[in-house]
Amino acid sequence: MKAVVLAAGEGTRLRPLTVSRPKVMLRVGDRPILQYAIDALREVGVRDIIIVVGYQKERIQTFFEDGERFGVNISYVAQRKQLGTGHALLCAREHLDSDFLVVPGDNILDGAMIAQLLDHRSEVTVLATESAQPRKYGVLELDGDRVVRIIEKPPRRISNLISTGIYYFEHRFLELLEREVGAGRFELSLAVQTAIDEGFKVRGQLTKGLWLDVVFPWDLLSLNSRVLTDGPSRQAGTVESGVTLVGPVSIGEGSVLRSGTYIKGPVSIGAGCEIGPNVVVYPTTSIGDNVTISPFSEVRNSLVMDNVSIGGHSYISHSIIDEGTTIQSHFVTAAEPKLLLIENELIQIDKIGTIVGESTEIGHRVVVDAGRTIGAYCRVEAGVRIIKDVPDSARVV
Amino acid sequence: MCGIVGYTGNRQALGLLVEGLKRLEYRGYDSAGVVVIGGDGLNLQKAKGMISELEKRLQPAEGTTGLAHTRWATHGRPSDENAHPFLDCTGRMAMVHNGIIENFQELRERLVAKGHRFTSDTDTETIVHLIESHYKGDLVAAVRKACKELRGTYAIAVLHADHPGTLVAARFENPLVVGVSAEGEALLASDVTPLLPYTNDFTFLEDGDVVELKGGAFRITDLAGKRVERPTHHVDWSVEDAQKGGFEHFMLKEIFEQPHAILQSMMGRISDEALEAIAPKNVDKVKIVACGTSYHASLIGKYALEAIAGLDTTVEMSSEYRYSNLARESALVIAVTQSGETIDTISALREAKRRGTRTVAISNVVGSTITREAHDTIYTRAGPEIGVAATKTFTTQLVALYLLAFALGRRQGSLGAEELRRLREELRKLPAKVQQVLNSHEAIKAAAARLKDVRDVYFIGRNINYPAALEGALKLKEISYIHAEGYPAGELKHGPIALLDARTPVVAIVVDDAVRSKMISNIGEVSARDAPVYAVGYEDDLELAKVVDVLLPIPRTDPLFSPVVAVVALQLLAYYVALMRGCSIDKPRNLAKSVTVE
Repeated sequence: MKAVVLAAGEGTRLRPLTVSRPKVMLRVGDRPILQYAIDALREVGVRDIIIVVGYQKERIQTFFEDGERFGVNISYVAQRKQLGTGHALLCAREHLDSDFLVVPGDNILDGAMIAQLLDHRSEVTVLATESAQPRKYGVLELDGDRVVRIIEKPPRRISNLISTGIYYFEHRFLELLEREVGAGRFELSLAVQTAIDEGFKVRGQLTKGLWLDVVFPWDLLSLNSRVLTDGPSRQAGTVESGVTLVGPVSIGEGSVLRSGTYIKGPVSIGAGCEIGPNVVVYPTTSIGDNVTISPFSEVRNSLVMDNVSIGGHSYISHSIIDEGTTIQSHFVTAAEPKLLLIENELIQIDKIGTIVGESTEIGHRVVVDAGRTIGAYCRVEAGVRIIKDVPDSARVV
Repeated sequence: MCGIVGYTGNRQALGLLVEGLKRLEYRGYDSAGVVVIGGDGLNLQKAKGMISELEKRLQPAEGTTGLAHTRWATHGRPSDENAHPFLDCTGRMAMVHNGIIENFQELRERLVAKGHRFTSDTDTETIVHLIESHYKGDLVAAVRKACKELRGTYAIAVLHADHPGTLVAARFENPLVVGVSAEGEALLASDVTPLLPYTNDFTFLEDGDVVELKGGAFRITDLAGKRVERPTHHVDWSVEDAQKGGFEHFMLKEIFEQPHAILQSMMGRISDEALEAIAPKNVDKVKIVACGTSYHASLIGKYALEAIAGLDTTVEMSSEYRYSNLARESALVIAVTQSGETIDTISALREAKRRGTRTVAISNVVGSTITREAHDTIYTRAGPEIGVAATKTFTTQLVALYLLAFALGRRQGSLGAEELRRLREELRKLPAKVQQVLNSHEAIKAAAARLKDVRDVYFIGRNINYPAALEGALKLKEISYIHAEGYPAGELKHGPIALLDARTPVVAIVVDDAVRSKMISNIGEVSARDAPVYAVGYEDDLELAKVVDVLLPIPRTDPLFSPVVAVVALQLLAYYVALMRGCSIDKPRNLAKSVTVE
């Protein structure tokens, strides 16, 4: 059976982390989000995968190539304009000659869920899960295991069951989908509702498997800590004497941990890094490739991406530092619980530091207030305190 | 250059050989052929043109041992007759060859006098008749005797209907690699790519080696018949590395792979200890030898070595190096070649060693000839590059040269620890900056649309971006066939400016360095002749934007590293121009990926 993986969207709510990569290529644990879907499909023997790409498609294609490294065969289909998930699926139509699966590329999911879906096939089957915030998703109304209604982002609470976006479809569904998309109804859930109305047997299968969604940047931190906890600990590189490693710590090839450094896992450190002397890293932190962290700095519960350099005496907590950003000494992120107003909705976050976009340069002695974002390609001069969000390409003096 | 593939095992060879040839297609060729040993003698098929041409005409043939070849013409035009494999007079022995035989006229006359019948004008055919003349039932012995009489360069592979299940091959100055699969198949090829589906462990033959492949194993002997052992190299590439992954062309894929490749090339190498490990001692002068794109990388390396390490550095085309007569003019020779098989560069390296000079190779291929001969090697780790136009191997060569400059700078004491820290941080940002250039590919595409119908383009730059201009011109001419020349901007008024008019655009590389104001006045000279000016420059350079027609934006970096980002923009420009002109981008006419003949 073939599977269509939807990976064309940017994920605008994750900006600035998506200025040069699609949401699906953000890393959680030791791999990009999209790889969770690919790995799950391979685990249950689905090898022929069509990825619908769009925004920054080259990032996906150069990473997954033809899939051989991941044990699958991947073909790519481009969705030129990101109109909606139904339209995205239709882009893959020429590759589909029989029944197929649809899997979102931007969720963390596991093979057991796909296996469950394959065991409960109907004319259309949708995997459902319970959510604390159903209003953000396609909500399902079930009668037994029959789906009665699917409503995208309902204003009022109907049920706690939402669609995971993971579907099994009989091939003939595509004809219906084509009509829907032709009529300007681009979302897949709309076509599924039409299928219900036209008498398709649409089954809703509740799953207890691991299904996680990333909506905002700080979701990456909580997902990362969930995923890293049971990650493997693999140690390559050089660990100088006087370094203390506690709990699962994985270290990539060519990395050097200098004397006096204390690392408490779960922590994952990529290849070619130089950390220390006297650096402290606390759970749950992921550090990418080719990163340096200078003496007397502390990093906790953070994501540090490739090619980042962090100056000495810095304190980075509950934060995300994107690729190629360089930070001089005495950089402090204040991490506090925060109530943020986003899209006219108040969101309570347990603890949040800062998000810094890619290729930004931060001078000495910069302090960032909790919950503030610094965009990509910025320059922040020495001694500044950041109290407001900084847009991309800004210069802060 | 020519490509060889040989297979002996338990499966039908014909299809496997053609698949293998396709993996060598990137080397460039103008005809192709294949031979298998069948139940009733040899089945030989060959055709001028693309491998697809051969495939179209291919008749099914039984046989589990065979050879295949792609030919890049040196002696004799591309044609069906001149394509390899060649047969001997009996039609029971077939052979393929890479390289050039220098004494073939003399051998040929002798063989014709003895009654051998020739069917082509090639030097290759001489070899098969020569082996035939020595053949008394022992194929290996016959090949060995023939090799002793040959002068020139070769990698040859032979099979004989009397020995089904056996291949014999020999090498002198042309690459040949052998490997065996877990299923008991033995293979040989010009480089590792056709063998990747079978194994990741390879043995590279050395000059004077003769190898016999039989029964899922191989045995190497020297020309005297003595057994020799060659090490096995593990090459970490996968088959999928050589596939297109949804990109329209390998070249585009390889351009987009650059952020990752550049990261790989510096990974684990920029710490103080790592730099110290690669720094050669007692160097007072440096010479870099290279050809083609690698030569342009070397020119940039020269500026970097002079600026960072304070070392007097010269760059020489490999093919000219040996004609310089000074016995020992430099303390260090750096040989730069992507494939590690470029014969001119290998010869220059050998000459340097003969003169007693220390040598460092910069290469992309683990275990390649140059890496076995140089004292030290820095691998560029770019992964396989299939597009004939070099892209990611160029930018990673630059990283290797920068690292060497850092290392030598520290060793010489001319690079302070604080300055190194600053440069290192800047270098670390390069992958993300290259990504930024890639992000603006739509803007570059728009510029390409305006350039696509011109006849000539001049590229200008100064200082470290002068070689970047040369590389920009090379990329454009090699894939789009538009006439393009790179010039130092200051040279323009000493001649080429006479050629400028409204139909001859100029591409200028302008960054924020000491020569910026000079570049701006050169642009003024160009504009005064009505020539449209395209500039590769910093995205926030408003002054520059005002004086040029089109600005291809690149992000700010240290001027020393600016050629990396500038060249990526020029690669995309060349790619899109060629695409709009409908050119054969991955396999431009007359060009070969790795030039293994002189």
